[in-house]
Amino acid sequence: MTQHAVDLAPPIALPAGVRRRLTSAELAGLAGLGAIALLPIPFGSFGFFVGQFALVYAILGLSVVVVTGYAGLVSLMTYSFAGIGAMVTGVAMASWGWPFWLALPLAAVATVPVSIIVGVTAVRLKGLYLAIATLTFADALGETFFKWSRATGGQTGWVVSRPKPFVSDVSYYVLLLAVALGLVWMVTGLRSSRMGRAMLAVRTNEREAQALGINVYKTKLTAFLISGMLGGIGGGFLALLLKQVTRSAFQSPLVEATSILLVTVVVVGGIDRALGAFLGAVALVVQQQVFQGARFFFAYFGIYSAGLLIVFLLYRPGGLMQVARLQWRLIRARPRVGITVAVAIVAINVGVAWLFVRLG
Amino acid sequence: MSEPLLEVQDLSVRFGGITALDHVSVTVAPGEIVGLLGPNGAGKTTLFNAISGFQKPDAGRIALAGEDIKHLLPYERVAAGLGRTFQHVRLFANLTVRENLLVAQHRHLSSGSLSAMLRLPAWRRDEERAQARIESMLDMIDLRAWETSYPPALSYGTTRFLELASVLSLDPLVLLLDEPASGIQQKEVEALGPLLRRIRDETGCSIMLIEHDMSLLLGLSERIYALDFGRVIAEGPPDQVTKDARVLSSYLGRTRRAHASA
Repeated sequence: MTQHAVDLAPPIALPAGVRRRLTSAELAGLAGLGAIALLPIPFGSFGFFVGQFALVYAILGLSVVVVTGYAGLVSLMTYSFAGIGAMVTGVAMASWGWPFWLALPLAAVATVPVSIIVGVTAVRLKGLYLAIATLTFADALGETFFKWSRATGGQTGWVVSRPKPFVSDVSYYVLLLAVALGLVWMVTGLRSSRMGRAMLAVRTNEREAQALGINVYKTKLTAFLISGMLGGIGGGFLALLLKQVTRSAFQSPLVEATSILLVTVVVVGGIDRALGAFLGAVALVVQQQVFQGARFFFAYFGIYSAGLLIVFLLYRPGGLMQVARLQWRLIRARPRVGITVAVAIVAINVGVAWLFVRLG
Repeated sequence: MSEPLLEVQDLSVRFGGITALDHVSVTVAPGEIVGLLGPNGAGKTTLFNAISGFQKPDAGRIALAGEDIKHLLPYERVAAGLGRTFQHVRLFANLTVRENLLVAQHRHLSSGSLSAMLRLPAWRRDEERAQARIESMLDMIDLRAWETSYPPALSYGTTRFLELASVLSLDPLVLLLDEPASGIQQKEVEALGPLLRRIRDETGCSIMLIEHDMSLLLGLSERIYALDFGRVIAEGPPDQVTKDARVLSSYLGRTRRAHASA
């Protein structure tokens, strides 16, 4: 899948322990991130509302990056992990009166039993079969855990309130931005480590990985554990974003649809790069939320995201990360053309969204 | 001869009705270079697979440094001191040459996922250690020019050398090389012999190799086992084995009929 991307991806910066200056590409990337972070401002409160969604999906996308992007295990149950996180956060806060900052770690840890069961399966199944198995797990969780009223609060679900000082949408957006970028930083770090490299190795060539002394079983299990925890954390933040979580979102068919959307998000962003989850979430979730209001256009979103997935898989398997790298090369080689194209792309997208919000 | 480092006794592997290995016994002494000779389908690669744990034997014993390793998984055999390469080079195409070598440092590192995610000192020490080990490997097997290249961009010969560097990074006691010279340029084949001998001299590891390039195999090996139809048909120094009538008939072009009547 990433065959084309590999020629273009820059090697991972690995001079560990050596403090170095940022390269110009990294500075440009940081500037781009800063611009994205400020994006909600011209759109007012609606902008921050959408921004929060995009950031929660970015966190959930990181879960897919680890398990699918790094370890090559196609998991279509990420949103089930989010559901576990959301419900555990809900029960801890609404029922037991826990503060959010205690409920969140519990939400992450609560995914561990499920991760272990799925991880044990993942060792024995490959590719499509594993994908189908994870779909089945998602469905099974929907029929069991998410039907358990004590855990899910019944039909009405759990009503939770955001902790101070993150009550307003703007402040919660800022919190989510910090958390999402912090997790992006963490997942990026994982990539250049013993276990991260083992995951990348297992993804490409299990036999060679074994021949080099890598415990494939443990590697896959670790990928699922980290992925599940990230999903649980994302779910905790999702609960506070929605302020009320109900189980129907985590039951068939919504849960599968959302999990597949998450894979799409990450493929569009760049599946084996942590930052890709962030970019993909911005690109897709903003569209989804903007068009949510308009009935006709919401149907269009499904076609749009499916089409985008196929186009990226065929032409830019490295996702938006690859697009950004190519764009940066163009800017370096022919600054005037490159910058003009980049500005045009951003202007068209922001402009269309702005018009849509204003007119719709 | 000193106590064997690798000892394979009466190893048998059957695929359905076909006996791929039939009571094969081979030994490798510490620091010895042993060649495996035999026509295609003789069972050489199957023997490697069984020794390295990728093929479950039906009977027999495999011991490394006196320890029975028959029940260990492939990655556990690496920890026990076994390293192997594959007949068809299998590398990580999505990782650079340098990253490929970093993957091979796995068993020498110990820091966990969380310390990497938080950039804790344990992770930092591990990475520094890995980088330092790679530097010496890049010098030993000359791969500096390709450090940041991806395997698909390398010549086949260079990928062979990268594979060799990867497996050497494991610090193996015994190195199993499955046709290291196949598909590479003559010039590289000629460099391979001295390199393998140097690797043996510098690291002290034993080498067992399968090779169809006769001048390389005969020039390098101190002892040779000849296999045919899953059985060891001859064993001894190269000049002796190549004169063996059964080896000549099976491998060097005599007809099967002659073999049967011999």
